[in-house]
Formats: sequence, C-alpha cells, structure tokens
Amino acid sequence: MPEQAIAQPEIDAVFPKVAQTIADALGCDLEEVKPTSSLIEDLDAESIDFLDLVFRLEKGFGVKIPRGKIVEDARGALPESEFEAKGVVTEAGLARLREFLDEVPAERIKTPLKAADVPRLFTSETFCKVVIRAQRAAA
Amino acid sequence: MNGRFRSFSFVDRITQCSARRVEGHYTVPAGATRFPASLMAEAVGQLAAWASMSQLDFAFRPVAGLAAEARYAQLPRPGQRLELQADIERCDAEAVAYRGRATIDGQLAVEIIDCVGPMLPMAQFDDPDAVRADFHTLRGSGAAPDRFGGVPAAALSQIDALGDDKLQALLTVPLPAAAPYFGDHFPRRAVFPGTLLLDALAGLAVQLAQRSAPLRDAEVLLPTRVTHVKIRSFTEPGALLQLEVERVEAGAQGARLKLAARADGKTVATARIEVARRDRA
Repeated sequence: MPEQAIAQPEIDAVFPKVAQTIADALGCDLEEVKPTSSLIEDLDAESIDFLDLVFRLEKGFGVKIPRGKIVEDARGALPESEFEAKGVVTEAGLARLREFLDEVPAERIKTPLKAADVPRLFTSETFCKVVIRAQRAAA
Repeated sequence: MNGRFRSFSFVDRITQCSARRVEGHYTVPAGATRFPASLMAEAVGQLAAWASMSQLDFAFRPVAGLAAEARYAQLPRPGQRLELQADIERCDAEAVAYRGRATIDGQLAVEIIDCVGPMLPMAQFDDPDAVRADFHTLRGSGAAPDRFGGVPAAALSQIDALGDDKLQALLTVPLPAAAPYFGDHFPRRAVFPGTLLLDALAGLAVQLAQRSAPLRDAEVLLPTRVTHVKIRSFTEPGALLQLEVERVEAGAQGARLKLAARADGKTVATARIEVARRDRA
C-alpha cells in the first residue's frame, strides 16, 4: 500500500516537541535544532544518542517505534539486495532515499553512499516524520 | 583464577524471572573493602541483564548505555542483603529498557528509572554457553557467596580547579593485573565498568561540592541522585581519562553538578549528580 504523504502542517505541528526532545537527548541548545539539521553532521549525535532519542520520542509521544524501523522504512519495498551491494547503496537505493528522505537536500545524498552512512542523512525533520508515521500506525 | 562470574557479579540468586519482571538478591560480602552506591545500581542492572540475555537465548548481552535517573536512599553495610527487582519494559536484539530497585530490610536503597542497555553480540564478551550455565546456577541453588572483594576509590591525579565552579582530574584506568573486576567485566573483552566511572566522577563531584561556601562545614556529602547518565563508548584498561565536574547550584543542604569523562578529547560519559549533606548527629 503506498504511503500517504506527510503534509508540512503535520510536520510543523510535531516539530517543537521533537526539537525539544532532540535537544534534551543530545544536551544541546534548542536553538541549534533546526528542521534541516543533520543529527550526526550538525549536532554531533552518536549511535547511543539515536537510541536515547527513539526511547524519548516513544515516551513523549506515546508511540512505538520498532527497532530498525527508520532504516527499514528508508529502504521501502526494495529488498536489501537491491538497496545495497557490498555495503554501498545502489542507484535504485539512492533513488528511493531521495524520494523517502525528501527533507534532505539532494546534494547531501552523494554517490557513492555507504549503507552504514544512511543515518548520517537523518535530520530533525526525519524524526518528525518517524513520529507521524508511528502515530498513524497506532491510530 | 580469572575472576569470571566472581569479581564483578552482583546477583547471587534469581528467584523469579518472567518476560516482564525479574527478582533476586545479592549479599554484600562481609569482607568487601568498599561498596560504593553505584554498585547497587550495577546490581539491579545486572539482574535486568540476566533476564534480557535469557530472553535472547544468550546470543546478545546488554552493555551500559543510558539511565534517566538513579536515586540512592541508603548504602549497604558489608553482610547486608540487597533484595533486587527489575521490570523489563522492552527487550530485543537492539536494546533492553528497564527500571528497578533494591531494598535492604524492606527499605528502599536504590531506584533506577528509564534505563536502556544497548545489545551487542554475546560472543564478543563471553562464552554464551558459559553464561547460560551461570544463569541456570542463579535460577537454581544460586552462586557462591562472597565473590566480590570490593573496589578501592578511584586514584585521581592532577586535581585542578578551573575557576570557582569546575574541577578536573585525571584517572588512569588500572590494568587487569591490578583490577580483578576486569576478569568478569568481561571475560573476553576487558571494559572499565560504567558504574565505576560514575563512582570516580561522583568522588570528584563531592570534592567540588565541599569547596562551596554553604557546604564547607559539611562532615559528609553523599550522592543522592544521578540523572542523565549516558555512557558513549567503551573505556579500555590503561586508558587515561580526563574527568570534569561543574557546579550548577549549591545550597546549605547539597549541590547539583554536571559530570563528564573524556578520553583523547572525546566524550565517553556524561551525567548529572546531586550530593547532599549527611552530617552525623
């Protein structure tokens, strides 16, 4: 079933709370958390921060975010073997990422892109969408 | 003797273990030289770890990660028994989320809230079959008592004040020959326990708090609450850590401080702490 698009007003509605949650998890100032901020590149997040953030979002929004869900959603219907080859995202995978992570500036989705580096693309807005999808799944 | 299942194990017996709740107990050895407050939290965390490892058939083990809050109500004396309890909120191959508490004679000793331990492959740290066998021992007759000998206070060096509100120090993590707990934490990969790192930071925090004007006459200051704990990476034996504590607030009854530990300029752990006056009557 094709995913229902997420409208900007939906993102705007959850962004303040998501941004505050990101600031709390990363120990940074709220002013530093912009919708386009890459959590890794701009806010120095590490893997433990993502774990922290996801648990905080679950508690804050009362939703369940299954483990590995973000990367799994990013891959979409593409089997892993078509999404990446020898650890590098394929052309089909890159096309899927540009579509799914449309909040990420296209120039940041560079070739070659290691599959392990996909989380480097995630922005604050990416996590707004994660929350919205989780809310929809729970509805 | 390599210390495995002895020198850093804080569960003697598991009396109940279901998917959501695990209970057990641990008696602080009569001969333990020092048992800091953070080891009570370690005991509760280990209880939760046993339950989570069992649920995942010992293919993964949790390591220290996050703790939103640990509240310390009392310290155990040697020979006292901690009744341990943990509630498993989530458990999968990525992480275990739990909360728990320890009591002594029915009175709260420590409570830990919103803890998350990232899961890593068990085989990196220990023999999965040996850990499974240890679990069955804990579920059965229990482990041998008096396994832990105590830990000395961290040997901090070059303690320097950075203005009125900051104190920094160096901590050289001991080598396994001088620190038996490495044989148990972990048998296949020695990692400096996060709770001992927090103990070292707490010690520095108490030193800074005692320099605050309202607390200079305090006979005893003890950690009462640790929050926002985040262990970012492993610390190996022999590592040189730079510890830093920063006073946020100090009053007549206690102080709040921020804690950080860095290695090679990279932050390995952060937390906040509250210390309170516990003067003798």
